[in-house]
Amino acid sequence: MSTGTPARAARPDRPWAAGVPRTLGLAALLVVAVILGTGLGSVTIPPGEVVGALWRGVTGQELAGNDVIVWSIRLPRVVMGVLVGAALSVSGGAFQGVFRNPLADPYLLGVASGSALGATLAVVLDWPRAMIPLSALVTALGAVAVTLALAREGRRFPPTRLILSGVVVGSVLSAASTALILRGEDRARLVLSYTLGDLGFSGWRDVLTVLPYVALGGGVLLLLARALDTLQLGDLTARSLGVPVERLRLLVVLSASVATAGAVAYVGIIGFVGLIVPHIARLAFGARHRTLLLTSAALGGAGLVLADLLARTTVLSQVGIVTTLLGGPFFLWLLRRQRD
Amino acid sequence: MKILTLTTTLALAGSAAATTYPLTLTDDLNRRVTVKAEPRRIVSLLPSTSETLCALNLCERLVGVDQYSDYPAQVKNVAKMGDLYTPNIEAIVAAKPDLVLVSKYGKVSETLTQAGITVFALNPETYDEVFSKLLTLGRVVNREAAAKALVTTMARDIAKTEVLTRAAVNKPTAYFEIDPTPYSIGPKSFMGVLLTKAGARNIIPESMGDFPKVDPEFIVKANPQLMLGVDRKTAAARPGWSGLNAVKSGRVIALPVELSSSLSRPGPRLPAALRSLARLIHPELFR
Repeated sequence: MSTGTPARAARPDRPWAAGVPRTLGLAALLVVAVILGTGLGSVTIPPGEVVGALWRGVTGQELAGNDVIVWSIRLPRVVMGVLVGAALSVSGGAFQGVFRNPLADPYLLGVASGSALGATLAVVLDWPRAMIPLSALVTALGAVAVTLALAREGRRFPPTRLILSGVVVGSVLSAASTALILRGEDRARLVLSYTLGDLGFSGWRDVLTVLPYVALGGGVLLLLARALDTLQLGDLTARSLGVPVERLRLLVVLSASVATAGAVAYVGIIGFVGLIVPHIARLAFGARHRTLLLTSAALGGAGLVLADLLARTTVLSQVGIVTTLLGGPFFLWLLRRQRD
Repeated sequence: MKILTLTTTLALAGSAAATTYPLTLTDDLNRRVTVKAEPRRIVSLLPSTSETLCALNLCERLVGVDQYSDYPAQVKNVAKMGDLYTPNIEAIVAAKPDLVLVSKYGKVSETLTQAGITVFALNPETYDEVFSKLLTLGRVVNREAAAKALVTTMARDIAKTEVLTRAAVNKPTAYFEIDPTPYSIGPKSFMGVLLTKAGARNIIPESMGDFPKVDPEFIVKANPQLMLGVDRKTAAARPGWSGLNAVKSGRVIALPVELSSSLSRPGPRLPAALRSLARLIHPELFR
């Protein structure tokens, strides 16, 4: 955050939004989002039936009719939304902290274009549909590895070099994907919908596959929160306070990339969430990283579930379109504020 | 009903006389295009247009086609010139065509028009347009009589299949997948019209549009008896789909490549495509 006002980064948490009321408020928001997301959809199901379906699902009874919609389609889709929204937001917040740059987002090091390239390859080569996420995951992590290798100076990973390498790797991989799409005849729509992000067809198995990546990446980031706070004082100061700056940077970048890669591999590249949510959290709850990452996770999870609900029930059709439509103006507003 | 529309289309076309050039018509990009003389060197950038030209016995006048044109076999020997979105402009200009046929998509028309080449956009999108645009093409290339004969033959062959399927006792509810996102087809799209004619009841209502993206839970709710355009293994693996009627009864049919290509092309192979589709939906009628 030091590009603008260092004072903001040092601002204490706002008292009105601290402690128990904040935790309760965010928990309530998340619960409301999950309830709405599970209760509403293109098929109208009365609330009593939704509750009954959840009960029958939890207790492992026979599912019939609308139960299947609630338990096998909507709930995993909502849980996936929470996981992906949280992963992107936490990773975005960590990236912004580690680069001390308010415009950093989880896709900074080429995860998105790597993921898209893997997905495009799988689609164009007509691999089975289950292979798409796996292929995307491998290329996403590969893209980050290439970025890190390009940015390395001995044992150091200077932030500017990391960002520039990420941009270059991202551009090259995007160009490769585009070339593949243009050769891939009539499958362009499938690739396009992947690059816009879509939570459709997320089942319990997908949720369980994504969970470890998000939990591992997000968990490590939370453990590093204090060190990220110290890093806001500048590399030199942080070093003199005993923070291993280079190792910290590498660890944050890797953890955030693992969480992001796991998330986008299954649902595609959902834009703007990882950029915006940390800013909202910072404005509302302050800039201490432990608070920031936790509140970002709750806001991002709830936000993506609600965005997906809009996507499912309106003509906006894809969650990535919703987040980008709402996120674009915010992003511009943020840019304007940077100039002041 | 449809037969009537066709008769009107034919009646409107007047008697089949030789086209008098220069001929000025409004094309599907809403441009007034003047064709100076009967086209002898034609480039077609739409697979269905290439098929139609060959059906009008003009295959040998094709000096270039788009990369997706693959039918009839003769077309495979014609020079490939990219497609609507990535046209090989230099190759097209070098072929010295006196007519380039495009659709209303892509940006190829402006560039070529500036290069002084006659470009005509033809874009059959609805079922009725398949026939009316075919007649227009016939006029443009001075094959009006042949175009009318072709339309009449197509209408007759379609009617033959319709007579069969109309007699079908059980018309299954069907979900037709055109892409695994999933996208499906509405009853007003020309593929949707064919699905209905083939004796199925489309689960997609008209209100969802011609090529809607479908929420998976909607398909589960509709619980169709038949699924087309997806294979059983894929369908069964989707969350909540394993218990659907079509999956349980095994009526999930991935279309052969040739059928899905001829079904999606608004050209002269539609009657044959309809017959194959009807045979998949009602094998009992074709024994």
